[in-house]
Amino acid sequence: MRLPKRILLVEDAAKDVELTCAVLEEQKLKHDLVVARDGGEALDYLYRRGKFSARGPGNPDVVLLDIKMPRVNGLEVLQRIKADPQLHSIPVVMLTSSREEKDVKSSYAMGANAYVVKPVNFNEFAEALRAVGAFWVSLNETPPMRD
Amino acid sequence: MKGLVVQSEQETFLRGRLSAIVDAADDAIVSKELDGTITSWNRAAEKIFGYRADEINGRNIAILIPPDRKDEQARISERILRGESVRHFETLRVRKDGKLINISASISPIKDEDGKIIGVSIIARDITERKEMEERHQAALKELGDLKAALDEHAIVAITTPQGHITFVNDRFCKISKYSREELLGQDHRLINSGHHPKSFIRDLWTTISSGKVWRGEIKNRAKDGSFYWVDTTIVPFLKPDGKPYQYVAIRADITERKNAEEALRRSEMKFARAFANNPSAIALTRLHDGLVFEVNDTWVALCGYTRAEVVGRSARMMWPTSPEAAHFVQVLREHGVVRGWQQEFRKKSGEMFVAELSSQLLNFDGEEMILSTLVDITARKQAEVRSQESERRFRTMANSIPQLAWIARADGFIFWYNQRWYEYTGATPQQVEGWGWQSVHDPQILPQVMSEWKAAIAAGQPFEMEFPLRGADGKFRRFLTRALPIKNAAGRVEQWFGTNTNVDELKRVQHEIEKLNAELEQRVADRTAELQSANKELEAFCYSVSHDLRAPLRHIDGYVNLLQRDSEAVLSPRSRHFMSVIADSARQMGRLIDDLLVFSRMSRCELKRREVRLDALVEDALQKLQPETQDRNIVWALAKLPAVQADESMLRQVVLNLISNAIKYTRPRNPAHIEIGCSSEGPDEVVIFVRDDGVGFDMHYAHKLFGVFQRLHLDEDFEGTGIGLASVRRIISRHGGRTWAEGEIDRGATLYFSIPIRKDRPAG
Repeated sequence: MRLPKRILLVEDAAKDVELTCAVLEEQKLKHDLVVARDGGEALDYLYRRGKFSARGPGNPDVVLLDIKMPRVNGLEVLQRIKADPQLHSIPVVMLTSSREEKDVKSSYAMGANAYVVKPVNFNEFAEALRAVGAFWVSLNETPPMRD
Repeated sequence: MKGLVVQSEQETFLRGRLSAIVDAADDAIVSKELDGTITSWNRAAEKIFGYRADEINGRNIAILIPPDRKDEQARISERILRGESVRHFETLRVRKDGKLINISASISPIKDEDGKIIGVSIIARDITERKEMEERHQAALKELGDLKAALDEHAIVAITTPQGHITFVNDRFCKISKYSREELLGQDHRLINSGHHPKSFIRDLWTTISSGKVWRGEIKNRAKDGSFYWVDTTIVPFLKPDGKPYQYVAIRADITERKNAEEALRRSEMKFARAFANNPSAIALTRLHDGLVFEVNDTWVALCGYTRAEVVGRSARMMWPTSPEAAHFVQVLREHGVVRGWQQEFRKKSGEMFVAELSSQLLNFDGEEMILSTLVDITARKQAEVRSQESERRFRTMANSIPQLAWIARADGFIFWYNQRWYEYTGATPQQVEGWGWQSVHDPQILPQVMSEWKAAIAAGQPFEMEFPLRGADGKFRRFLTRALPIKNAAGRVEQWFGTNTNVDELKRVQHEIEKLNAELEQRVADRTAELQSANKELEAFCYSVSHDLRAPLRHIDGYVNLLQRDSEAVLSPRSRHFMSVIADSARQMGRLIDDLLVFSRMSRCELKRREVRLDALVEDALQKLQPETQDRNIVWALAKLPAVQADESMLRQVVLNLISNAIKYTRPRNPAHIEIGCSSEGPDEVVIFVRDDGVGFDMHYAHKLFGVFQRLHLDEDFEGTGIGLASVRRIISRHGGRTWAEGEIDRGATLYFSIPIRKDRPAG
C-alpha cells in the first residue's frame, strides 16, 4: 500500500489556491496537500518551525512553487531548498504565471526540477496540473528520506 | 921614302883589290892606332860620318864620340887591349855636321905577326834608320799596347777564327759572360748565343763580316748562369793580303742596363698609351695657338663622332660653337694654366650639340705649347638639372600657397629659399635668415639640440623631424613641428632639402579642443546611455510586473468562470451559459493582448544580438509550436530551403511565428489550405523571405494599414487577433534594417514579404 504523496503548494494568491485545489480534487490523486501562503511559511514548513513546528518528520514529495510572492519570493525559496543538503533532493516544480526568460533561466540555474507556466485559460491550467500531478505524484520516484 | 919596298905586283894587286873591297863596303871600315888616331877611313865611313878620308886621317877618333859616351871608349879599349873583340856594339856617334847617329860597331884589335896589338879596326854600320825604325816600332808597339789596355779597360773584346772559334778574350769578356778564360778559349762563339735573335739576323752578321765588312749591332747573349746581357757589338774582320779575313775582333759594350731601361720605358709608355686610349673620359691633346689636334683617345672619338684620322692634324676649333668662345677659353687657359669644370656646348661630327665639362691643362712638350683636355658629356646631367630646377620651381609655387612655413636648403644645410609665410611669421628679411641665419629666431636654449639633430640628419641623409619653438614677428615663441626631406639624385646622393614648419601650437590648441569635446561627448553619451539603460530597466521591471500582475486576475476570472460553469452546468440557461463563455473568452482575449503587448514592447527595447540564424530551423520550431492550431487542419506545406541570415534569433523567431500563425489563421476556410514559405530573392545586399497563403487575403487598398499597431483588417468574429502580430514583425525587421510589405487579393490569399540585409562587414558568429 503506497503512502499518499505529500504536495507542498507555495502560493500567495488565495484565488489561485482555490483554483488549484479544485483541480487537484478533481484529479482524485491520493495526496496530502499542504499550502504555504508565502516563501517564509514554506521555509517554516520545510524546517518544521513556526506554524509547522508540530508537524511530523519527512520532506514533501514535491513542491509546487509560485515565484511572485510577497516577502520571500519563490526564487529565494528555491535557492534555500537547493542549497540545503537536507532539502535539496526535494523535487521543485515552478508553477508560475511568469513566462519571463530570466525567471526560467534563474529557476533552472538554481536547480528547479521543472518549470510550468500557469496558463490564463482555466482548462489549460487544469490540464497542466493534471500532467504535473500525474508525473510527480503518481509516476516519479521521490528521493528516499535521509535520516 | 923609306925603303920601300919591293912590292910584288901581286901585293899591289891584292892591296888594290882589298882597297876596292873596303871601299865598296856599305859599312864604315876604320882603323885607328891605339891612341885613337885614325889611320884608315873608307868611303862608307865618309858617307856615314861625313868626314873625307883626307880630313880625318890622322885625327883622333874621339871627335866622333859624343861627350856622354866618352867612358865607353875607355871600356872598349880595355877589352881590345885584352885581345877581345867587341861585336855589334850599338852606340851614338857625332857626324861632321853635328848630327847624332846610331851605329853598330864591331871592334877588333889589329895584331902584328907577333900578336902584339898595334891598332884597332872598327867596322861600323849606320843603324840610325834601323834605330829610328826600331824606335818607331817600339813607339808603335807601345801605342798599340796602350790602345789595347784602353780597349781592355773599356770594352769587351774577343777574337775568333774565321770559323768562329775563340782565340782571345779579355777580362771583361770573362766577367760579363761569367765563363773563365779556359772555358772560352777554343770554344765556338755560339756558346754565348741567347736564342733571342732570329736566324736572319745571325745570317746577316756572318755574311757581312765574312765578306770583310765591319758589322755593328746590338746582340743579346747568354751568360754561363743562364742570365742574359745586351752588348753593343762591332765586329772587325782582320784581313789577309788577299782580302779574306783571318780573324774577327769583336768589340762590345755592355748595354744591358740601357736595354733594360729602354724596355722599362717602352712598357711604361705602353701602359700610359693604354691608359690614355682606354680612359673613360674623352682626352685630347691639342696645340695651344691653333687648336691643332695631336692625339685623341677612343672615348673622345666615341663622344665626338669623328674618327681619329678625321681629326688628328685638324683644328679642334671646329667643334666650338663660335670662335670667340674658343678664343675666350684659350685666353683664360693662358692666364691660369689650368681650367677645370668649364661647361661648354660643343658640336659633334653629326652637327648635334652636346654640353660637356671641359678641363684643360697647359703643357710644354719639347718647346711646343700644348693643351691636354678632358671632356665629360654632361648633357644628361644638365637635363636632370633642368628637371630638378623645374621641380624646385613647382615646390616653391606650392610652398607659397600652403599655410605652413617652408624652405629649401642645399645639400650642406644652407637654406637659400624661404616661402612667404616664413617672412610673414618671423618678420625677418631674406638677408637676415638666409643660409644659417634662421638660428636667430630660435630659442637659444633649445638651439644647440636643434643644430646637432639637423646636422646629424644632413650627415646621414635621413629625413629630419623635430618640434621646437620659433619666434614670431611679435616676439612670441610658438611651437612648430619641422619636417625636412632629402632630395636625392639617381646616385643616391643628397642634392637638396625641402622642409616645412607647421605651427603646432595652433594645432595643439585645436587638438586639445577636440579632445575636450570628445570627452564631453563621450560623457554625454555615457549619461544618455545610462539614462536609457535605467529607463529600459524600469520598463523591463514594469513589463514584468504588469504581465504577471495583469495575468493573475485574468486567470482567476477564467478559472472561476470555469468552476462556475462546472458547478451550475445543469441549472444554467443557454443564455446564461453564453454570457459565461463570453466572460471566459474576454479574459482569454485580454491574456493574449497582454502577451502580445509584452512581446511587442520587448522587441522594441531589447538589444539586437546578431548572429547566424538558420531560418529553416526557425520555421520548424514555429510549426512545432503551432501544432495545436494545425493538428486538426489539412494544410499543404511548401517549404523551400531558406538561407541563413545574420539576425537576432529570438526576434526572428517571433517574426516567423507570427507570419506562419497568420497564414494558418487566415486559411482556416480552406480545405486543404496551401501555405508556402520561401526565399524570393537572394541578392548580394539582402535576403527576401515570403510566406504565402491561399487564405482570405485582403484588400490592397488597406495594405498600408496591415502592419499598423492594433490595426486589423478583419472582424473579430471572423478572425480573432490583437493587431500586434504584424506590427511586431515590422518593428523587428525594421530594427534589422530590412523592409516588410505584403501583397494580397480578397479571397485569393496573401503573400507577406520581409527582407534582411546582408551585413558584409560583420563576420559570422
